Amino acid sequence: MQKNLLFKGRTRCKPLVLLQMLLLFWITTAAAQSTLIEGTVSDTQGTLPGVNVQLKNKSTGTFTDAQGAFQINAKPSDTLVFSYIGYQTQEVVVGSKTHFSMVLVPDATALEEVLVNAGYYKVKDKERTGSIAKITAKDIETQPVSNFLATMQGRMAGVHITQQSGTAGTGFNIQIRGQNSVRRDGNTPLYIVDGVPFSSDAIGNGSSMASFSVPNNPLSSINPSDIESLEVLKDADATAIYGSRGANGVVLITTKKGKAGKTQFTASIASGFGSVAHFMKLMNTEQYLSMRAEGFANDGITEYPATAYDINGTWDQNRYTDWQKELLGGTSTITNANVSVSGGSEQTKFMVSGTYGSEGTVLPGDFGYTRISVRPSFNHASKDNRFKMAFTGGYNLQKNNQPSTDITMEGIRLAPNAPALYDAAGNLNWEDGTFDNPLALLRGHARSKTHDFIANTTLSYSLFDKLDFKTSLGYTKLDHYESSTYPSTMYDPADQIGSNLSRINYTNSGRESWTVEPQLNWKTSWNVLNVDLLLGGTFQQQHNKSLTIAASGFSSNSLIYNPTAAAQLLLSRFDDSQYKYQSFFGRANFNIDEKYIFNLTGRRDGSSRFGAHKRFGWFGAVGTAWLFSKEKPLTNSKVLSFGKLRGSYGITGNDQIGNYQYLDSYTSVSANYDGVTGLIPSRLYNPDFGWETNKKLEVALETGFLNDRIFLTAAWYRNRSSNQLVGVPLPGTTGFTQIQSNLDAEVENKGIELTLETVNIKSKDLRWTTSINFSKSKNTLLSFPNLESSTYKNSYIIGAPLNIVKLFHYTGVDPQTGLYTFEDVNADGVLTNLEDKKTVMDFNPSYFGGVHNQFVYKNWQLDFLFQFVKQKNYNLPLIFGIPGGNSNASTVVLDHWQAPGDIASTQLYTSGANGAAMTASGRFGASDAAVTDTSFLRLKNVAVNYTLPKQWMHNVVCKLSLEGQNILTFTPFKGADPEFAGIGYLPPLRVVTAGVQFIF
Amino acid sequence: MKTIFIFGLRKMQLFALYRATAFGVVLVVTLILQGCDDFTQTPMPVTELNTAAVFEDLNTANAAMANLYAQIRDNGMLTGKTTGLSKEMGLYTDELTWYGSSTQSSSYFYTNTLLATDSTIENWWDNAYSQIYAANLLIEGVGKSDKLLVADKERFIGQAKFARALVHLYLVQLYGAIPYITITDYSVNKNVQRLDEAKVYEKIINDLEAAVLLLPAEYPNSTRSLPNSYAAQALLARAYLYAGKWSEAANSASAVLNNTSLYVWEEELNHVFLKGSTTTIWQYAGRTPTRNTDDGSTFIFNAAPPNSVALTSQHMAAFEPGDQRKEQWTRGLVKDNLTFYHAFKYKKIGGDTPQTECTVVLRMAEQYLIRAEARARQGELAGAREDLNKVRNRAGLPNTTAVTVPALLQAILHERQVELFTEFAHRFIDLKRLGSIGTALDYKDGWNFTDQYLPLPQTELNLNPNLGSQNPGY
Repeated sequence: MQKNLLFKGRTRCKPLVLLQMLLLFWITTAAAQSTLIEGTVSDTQGTLPGVNVQLKNKSTGTFTDAQGAFQINAKPSDTLVFSYIGYQTQEVVVGSKTHFSMVLVPDATALEEVLVNAGYYKVKDKERTGSIAKITAKDIETQPVSNFLATMQGRMAGVHITQQSGTAGTGFNIQIRGQNSVRRDGNTPLYIVDGVPFSSDAIGNGSSMASFSVPNNPLSSINPSDIESLEVLKDADATAIYGSRGANGVVLITTKKGKAGKTQFTASIASGFGSVAHFMKLMNTEQYLSMRAEGFANDGITEYPATAYDINGTWDQNRYTDWQKELLGGTSTITNANVSVSGGSEQTKFMVSGTYGSEGTVLPGDFGYTRISVRPSFNHASKDNRFKMAFTGGYNLQKNNQPSTDITMEGIRLAPNAPALYDAAGNLNWEDGTFDNPLALLRGHARSKTHDFIANTTLSYSLFDKLDFKTSLGYTKLDHYESSTYPSTMYDPADQIGSNLSRINYTNSGRESWTVEPQLNWKTSWNVLNVDLLLGGTFQQQHNKSLTIAASGFSSNSLIYNPTAAAQLLLSRFDDSQYKYQSFFGRANFNIDEKYIFNLTGRRDGSSRFGAHKRFGWFGAVGTAWLFSKEKPLTNSKVLSFGKLRGSYGITGNDQIGNYQYLDSYTSVSANYDGVTGLIPSRLYNPDFGWETNKKLEVALETGFLNDRIFLTAAWYRNRSSNQLVGVPLPGTTGFTQIQSNLDAEVENKGIELTLETVNIKSKDLRWTTSINFSKSKNTLLSFPNLESSTYKNSYIIGAPLNIVKLFHYTGVDPQTGLYTFEDVNADGVLTNLEDKKTVMDFNPSYFGGVHNQFVYKNWQLDFLFQFVKQKNYNLPLIFGIPGGNSNASTVVLDHWQAPGDIASTQLYTSGANGAAMTASGRFGASDAAVTDTSFLRLKNVAVNYTLPKQWMHNVVCKLSLEGQNILTFTPFKGADPEFAGIGYLPPLRVVTAGVQFIF
Repeated sequence: MKTIFIFGLRKMQLFALYRATAFGVVLVVTLILQGCDDFTQTPMPVTELNTAAVFEDLNTANAAMANLYAQIRDNGMLTGKTTGLSKEMGLYTDELTWYGSSTQSSSYFYTNTLLATDSTIENWWDNAYSQIYAANLLIEGVGKSDKLLVADKERFIGQAKFARALVHLYLVQLYGAIPYITITDYSVNKNVQRLDEAKVYEKIINDLEAAVLLLPAEYPNSTRSLPNSYAAQALLARAYLYAGKWSEAANSASAVLNNTSLYVWEEELNHVFLKGSTTTIWQYAGRTPTRNTDDGSTFIFNAAPPNSVALTSQHMAAFEPGDQRKEQWTRGLVKDNLTFYHAFKYKKIGGDTPQTECTVVLRMAEQYLIRAEARARQGELAGAREDLNKVRNRAGLPNTTAVTVPALLQAILHERQVELFTEFAHRFIDLKRLGSIGTALDYKDGWNFTDQYLPLPQTELNLNPNLGSQNPGY
């Protein structure tokens, strides 16, 4: 029964091929009267190398060579089985023929045997009980991006990813099914690379990073082109086996592995350009100077201050520079190259790949990001297949050199008539000390170098029939060196600031972790019942070390990277912390007749992050699925080809609070007083906090129609997080701004996720597929005992989302005074934050998704992805400066109040001396008028690929590609880019690359 | 024999299932349970020390105390860095002009257009109470310790109370009614109410009176960087003066000035701010043994126009002709016929081996001026004039011509302006307590009478409803 099942249908995945091989070895063959059979295998586009040609029920097998040819000894009664990943398996009885020309048909919609990685186990996609989203190398490879999180944008339901800066090597924010934890930084998912947990905690130290930079995220060391598949586990059924770390979802990263067959070489190179797609529209010189003049006039200032260089005649009043274009309008060059070798036998397979990537800068200067990675992997199985071993390793080097200050803000704020950047002699122009030359900021560098090593070895042995013992051993090591410099050359030489005031901050940090996971897996079946049991344990330890040094005063700026040359040296921060984690887990899966499936998972976790009494916790889930399309009345349906109803409920947890938070202690600090090095109170003492829990419920319907050419999945979920592990904000009078404690509040995330995959056209030459995902979610603070008397009184509202802001209600510009006015909610005559900020704005996206289309026409392939997000955010063009002040402004503030009776959208201009106008301007930034629709529809990705006909290249596969990212954006937002975390960051770049790939 | 089927399983098969499962469970559970509870135990991190342990050892208790004073020196209101009140409150009054960006907090101080959401306002408040917490934790920890000697305990408690009083004294001057925190229990401190100013002064005076008794007469170190009994007395003199307790103010100032073995008047203006000055009652230790003051870096500029602060023309005009302080404690740089002056009390920027300057917080001249004012208020005009002249004569100025009490008070206010400029917001506090702030700052466009109190940080009002309403005008 079991065996037959495996042979049935279309084998698409390697593990099943393996299993199939394994079974075949058990069957001894008596070869007699066999003759040599030969032939070729091809698809519609040419010959296919590496196709497995096997005699059915026998151990004899071979692979097609580079020309797609094969030879095999077979008897007339044998059946040849041709199988190749991505193609439908074909069987032919040998009979009297000695030559076969096989044409394999691509396997388009067959989901039947698609295996999905669920972490500790794999499940057939059609039989899974949990909610798992997946993208594969095919989706990743068409995207010219350097961070793998970018490849998921717009492609996965329920996964919301925001790029925080366009600067190379910086971070992304990811949320899987909304914000569960009240703490903003307690919402990161768990990342597992080939079975090894990979900490995404930021590395480095704020003082030694660029200002306005997003903290260095170790995830950027994972190279997208090394990834075979990315799976995101979402519901309780899928995540409960990760227990305390599954609350925010789990991202499984599986890297590419070698395949049996002829040794295959792949080489590819792509290069292209990145630039800022769109800038904010700012005033020109005429508009700006008239705004300034009016500001001073309104303030009754007739004699311009000596320092108002822009308008008092010091600077040329007719000069105009588009500073955004000048400072941020460059083009960055992008190069990615990859070489890999893979191959091996059925027993031993290997793959080695090397990648080089570099990304330049859009700034005027020599900045850039480079990544080099090497990734070996090999698998081995003993002849009897009882012992198996798999090793994957990866070494990654990243180098980043960026300015220590993001000058995006300078590009926006500089007066349009500010003087030239360089003087006649080609030196930086300081305009006699009146001009803070923005290029000087670029002389301060933020450099970083990250070495990252990850290795995983899995050893497994079949103890008995059906019982496997497996141990997974993982190790990661990350070394990160960063520095940011502020040399004296950043300042006007006239200030006589010498290299004795140059300074640098360094941080050297390291992270090392190991994990050991022994597991027992027992699979068996009786009649229609298949049972799969898994029991395992985890021991994990992580050690972080970090040292920050502040050095200043050098005899020469060229010695700035040598700390021994510094006059002042301060060890400003040292961190040495350990995280230990231990658990056991289990899974029991019952599959009855492939129709009714029950999946039970559980885990008991212990974490060193909690005090002795709160250290351990239980987590678990139950998931079920009913494949109703296999019920009698539907089995022969012409329309419904697949139908499954699944549901799950369970509890997961969260311990993302940092180490040692339960200790009552002093911490040693670098501050020195009269030769004594200080000890500082570490925190407010509270040892009695424990796990945050997240109860997840999901119901989903998966249906395939017309032989699965239309496949629709609809899921509804409701996650409730309680026992919130939160740094409860406290007033400063307590000596701290927060305390670590469990808050008895409950946060709910519920929503629906729809995915629709269709094969619109499927003909010999043309294939058009579409996949659409849509997510709509609602985040609600359900309960919060004593909210009114709590410290969260003004941040949260019961029944409203967490990500809200309370704002003044803007009531327009007073036609008489010309000032912004706001609703005095309690009508007491004064505007107070406490009583009058009553308008609530929700910053969570209300829905988002993507539409991906793929056309394959003969050797051509066209992919394009539209991403859409419906959201609100701050209206940056309106709020970044004070209209009339010493900063350029958006043209949207041109419509302003000038004389009594005017109806205008912007208040009267002020040079900054009008206190009432300044106050009103401050309130405007905290009013509902400062929030706008930042929804967007973006042509996120376009890729055109062309495979040269094989005969042109002597059976070398050659693919040409043209790929683009962030190509077009439609948005009502008036700022640079609607995807932003705050003002002052470089927006995400538009990238276009062209590439070529050879496989032989 | 009857065969039992469960999910189509025969009994024998079930038995095999149980046996195999049991085997697996035993194997894995044994693996896991070995060292189960111990594994998640992490040792005390090398960067931390148990609170109780800190106070069992003189060295670690000293380190905790050193950090309290280092925090006062480095963070919040009382730092000499550009974020401290010597610069910001100078801009807020008539001492300094702002030449930097109009978008920095300093600009809002200069134009008197501060908002309750201002980062400096919040930074000052949070750091102040963080320092007060550290002082309270020291008082509690030292109190519980049974290892420290009584003399050391008294010194620690005295130093902590001194720091606590100092920080509260500045808070009450800047923010008006404030909470006075004397314990570390956050469940109480998060709901505290504000005390009116008189009550705050009472508590400050209590703490300082206790510190005077607890602290030794001698400095614990040669650099005068930790307070002795006289430093507490000097700060107490100031607190009495601010609280309007004239005779107590005069007596406390006298107690300091009469200790002629420790405090010797310095006639040379340029020696007053040197590290070894004998007029210094309390100064900060340098950030490193070779580093000079932060104040020097904050005020000095070497090119005109400056890109941060310069002394105002109003301030420069306040120097009487012949005032040597204008020559020695300020410096002018000329650019396009305009002269820009900076404070030049501290001459050094950056490092020096050995260090030559430390930030002086309490010095003799202030004590003379305190006593002069306290005496004048009590009608002791001759004594008042004598103290005032002591300060004037050093600056090369003749004796004061003021004869009436109001004239003398005016003369003292003026003397404080030119003697204590850019030192810890003396100008702001003096103008305010003597009722002259409205007239003195009327020339500033943004000035409002309600600006004599800074706004309470908005976050603080949001987080603690018991703080009540915002100061008027914000």
